[in-house]
Amino acid sequence: MKEYNIVITGVGGQGVLTAANILGWAALHAGYKVRLGEVHGMSQRFGSVISYVRFGEDVYGSMVPEGKADVMLSFEPVEALRYVNYLKEGGMIVVNTKPIVPVQVSMGMASYPSLEEIRKVFEKDFKAKWIGFNAEELAEQAGHVVTTNTVLIGALTQIPEFPLDAEHVREVIKISVPPKAVDINMKAFDLGIKAAKEILEL
Amino acid sequence: MAKVSDIVLWDKPGERVLLLGNQAIARGALEANIAVYAAYPGTPSSELTDTMAIVSKKAGVYMEYSTNEKVAFETALAAAWSGLRAMTAMKHVGLNVAADTFMSAVGMGVEGGFVIMVADDPSMWSSQNEQDTRVYAKFANVPVLEPISPHEAKEMTKYAFELSEKFKHFVILRTTTRTSHARGDVVLGELPEEIKQGKRKFGKFKKDSSRFVDVPSNARKFHPQILEKIEKIREELNNCPFNWIEGKEDAKIGIIAPGLSYAYVKEALAWLGIEDVKILKLGTPFPVPYGLLEKFFEGLERVLIVEELEPVVEEQVKTWAFDKKLNIEIKGKELVPRIYEMTTRRAVTAIAKFLGLETPINFEELDEKYEKVKPLLPPRPPSLCPACPHRNSFYAIKKATGGKAIYPSDIGCYTLGLLPPLKTVDTTVAMGASIGIAHGLSIAQNGSLSEEQQGPEKQVVVATIGDSTFYHTGLPALANAIYNRSNVLIVVLDNLVTAMTGDQPNPSTGETPHGMGKRIPIEDVAKAMGADFVAVVDPYDIKATYETVKKAIEVEGVSVIVSRQVCALHRIGQMRRRGEKWPIYYVNEDKCTGCRICINAYGCPAIYWDEEKRQARVEPTMCWGCGGCAQVCPFGAFEPMKEGEQ
Repeated sequence: MKEYNIVITGVGGQGVLTAANILGWAALHAGYKVRLGEVHGMSQRFGSVISYVRFGEDVYGSMVPEGKADVMLSFEPVEALRYVNYLKEGGMIVVNTKPIVPVQVSMGMASYPSLEEIRKVFEKDFKAKWIGFNAEELAEQAGHVVTTNTVLIGALTQIPEFPLDAEHVREVIKISVPPKAVDINMKAFDLGIKAAKEILEL
Repeated sequence: MAKVSDIVLWDKPGERVLLLGNQAIARGALEANIAVYAAYPGTPSSELTDTMAIVSKKAGVYMEYSTNEKVAFETALAAAWSGLRAMTAMKHVGLNVAADTFMSAVGMGVEGGFVIMVADDPSMWSSQNEQDTRVYAKFANVPVLEPISPHEAKEMTKYAFELSEKFKHFVILRTTTRTSHARGDVVLGELPEEIKQGKRKFGKFKKDSSRFVDVPSNARKFHPQILEKIEKIREELNNCPFNWIEGKEDAKIGIIAPGLSYAYVKEALAWLGIEDVKILKLGTPFPVPYGLLEKFFEGLERVLIVEELEPVVEEQVKTWAFDKKLNIEIKGKELVPRIYEMTTRRAVTAIAKFLGLETPINFEELDEKYEKVKPLLPPRPPSLCPACPHRNSFYAIKKATGGKAIYPSDIGCYTLGLLPPLKTVDTTVAMGASIGIAHGLSIAQNGSLSEEQQGPEKQVVVATIGDSTFYHTGLPALANAIYNRSNVLIVVLDNLVTAMTGDQPNPSTGETPHGMGKRIPIEDVAKAMGADFVAVVDPYDIKATYETVKKAIEVEGVSVIVSRQVCALHRIGQMRRRGEKWPIYYVNEDKCTGCRICINAYGCPAIYWDEEKRQARVEPTMCWGCGGCAQVCPFGAFEPMKEGEQ
C-alpha cells in the first residue's frame, strides 16, 4: 500500500490527538512508515481541531492534502463538515452525531445546521459514505463518556478495506489507557465495532 | 504504547518508535551528550523543553524553565563557553527577545557545541506574527539546519552539535509547526555512557577578556571573523549529510527544495507522476553551499525553488547564478506564495504551473464546492475553558469599569478575552507589552502624575497580564510605569502555571520540574517596586473581585491586583488523575427566566441555549464546577447537582 490517509476532526479537548496517536502506533507496529500532523497551543482550547494520520510505504509530509483523505473520523458533526473538502471522492466519514454547540450559536450570532443538512453535503455533494451514530451514548453505556474516542476508533476499524487490523488497534489502546480503565475501553471499542457493522450492513 | 519519558531514554539502538518532532530533538540532544538545557516555553517549541524536563534528572542533564528566552539563551551560552554541550529552544518570536544577546555574542563563539532550536509557525496557528528565522540566521551569519521529518530532526540535532563544536560557532536548528508537531517513525541511536549513567557533567570557563567582553575594540575584530567563519561553514556544508542531489541525472528541469518543502515536493512529484527531474534537497537553507549548487546546475535549463515563506534560498541562488553569468531560468516566489505555510497542494500547483501541466485534482472545482458549505458553518474559535478563572476576572473588570476603560492585554490563554461576550482585550502585541502599552496610553490621555498637567477627563486603563508573562517581560515595564508615575490598573491573572503552552512552572508556581525552587509572590514584587495600591483577590469570588477593581481604579497612580486562582485545565487534569470528582451545575427550570445573562455576558462554553424551552442549559460533560454561573445569574437558577444525580 502506497499511502493511507485519515483526517480526525473535533473540538479541542475531545481526544483528537490521542486518537491520532493510537492509530499512528498501530500503523507503526504494522510495519508502515508513519506521519501524524497536529496542532497544539491555543487551538486546543475548545476550538475547532484537525489532526492528520498518514501511513504506508511512501509518506512524506504530515498533512493530508485536500481531496486526498480515504476516511474522516469526526468527534462532532459540524467539525466534520468544516473539513469535508479533505475527503476524496467516495471517501468515508465515521462521525459522532452528538453536537457541541459553540458559544457563538448560543449567543445568537450564528446558527447550527441540522444533522440532515450536514449528512446531505457529505452524501450528495461529496459522494461520501456516512457512518454516523451517537458515540457518546455508547461510551456512557461502556462506563464513561471519556471513552467516546475509543468507540469511534472501534467503528473506524470496520470500514471496508481499512488497512489496520482491529485486534492490533485494540492492543495499542489496551496499553495506552490507565490499567483501571482498560475494561471500559475494551467495552467501548466493541460497542463501536458493533455500531459500525450495523450501519454498514444496512 | 510506552510512555514518552521511557522511549526518549530507551537504551535500545535500532528500535523504531513513534515520536513527536520535538521529542525526537530531545532524544537527539541526549544522543549528542548534552549537558545543559534552558528554555522558556512557546508553541510550537514547548514539548522539546517539556521532554527535557521529564528526562533530565535521569540523564544527568541540567535543565531549567527560564523566565524568558534571553536569560535562557544566556544560561545555555555560558555553559557552552565552559566547554559543555548546551542547548536552548524558543519559538520564532522568542528569538526577538533573545536577539540582543544573540547578535552580540555570535562573534565570541563557543567552546562546547551550542544549538539554538527555533520553532517557526508559518500560517500562525498559535502566534502573533509569521517571521522566518532563516532571515535572522542570515542577519547574524549563523548556519541554520532544517529537518524534513522527526527522524531527521533527531539526526540533525547531533550533527548541529558537531558542526557548532568544529567551528566554535552558533548553530540554529530551525523547525516549523509541521516538524515540531509532526509525529513520525524514528530509529533510536546510541546513548553516550554519561547519559545512561545519569552523570551530571561540569565544565570550566577560561577567562579571556579579549573574547568575552564586547567593547568596541574587541567587537571590531569579531565582525570579520564571523564573516570568515560563515564562508568556511558554507564550504563544509557541501559535504553535509542532510544536503543531496537526487532524481534523474541528465534532467533539464531542476527543483530546489529547502527544509520541509522537500517532503511536499516529493509528494507532489509522485502525485503528478513526474520522474524527469533533478532535485536538490537542502537541509541547510543558510548558508547555501556553492559547490553543491555547481554540481546541481550542470545540464539544467530551468530551475524552480519551492520554498516556504521568505525567498532566503532563492536570493542566495539567484545571486550566485548572476555572478556565475549562468543563463538559466530560475523561478521561485513568482509561483510559490510568500505567506502562510507550504502544503502539498501549493507544491503541486507551483510545479504543475512551472511545467505547464494540469493539477491531479481540480482544486478550483473543489474550492467552489466547499464555498457552498461555508455558510452552514458556525464559527468555533478557541475559548476560555469552563471554570477558567480569567473569565471571572474579565467579567468583574468589565462590570466595574462599565466597559468604558481601555484594556491592553498580553500573550497567553487570556488573550481569548478578546472574544464576545467578554471583549475585554483591546490590544495584544508581544510578551509583557500590556504594561508598557498601558503606561503609554495613560501618558497619552491623562498625562503623568509627575507632571502637574492632567488630561481633561480621566481615561481608565486596565491592563491584564499572566503570571508567566509578568515575570517574562512585565517586570521592567512595571518598574517603568511606577517610576514615571503612570495612572493605570494592572491586573495580573495569576493561575500559577504557564497554561497556554502546557502548564509549565514559573516563579509564581515556585516548584521546578526537579523539586522546590523559590516562589516569588507577585504582590511582594509590586509592593517592593512601590505600586500605589496592591491587592490579592480570588476571581472565583466575583463580587469581591468586582469591588476590589472598583476601589483600585479610584486610586491615583499604579495599582496592581493579583487575581489568583489555579488554572482550571490544570486543576481538572490533576483531579482526573487522582480519580476525584467535582460539583456539576445544572439549570433549575423553575428559576431560569431565559434572560441569557449567563450566555450573553459571561459566556462559559459549558452553558448553551435550549431553543425549545427558551432557557439556559449546562452540558454536564463540560462543566468543571467553578460555580461562576451561580454567582452571575440574578435568579439563582444554577445549582450544583447532588451526589448521585450526575
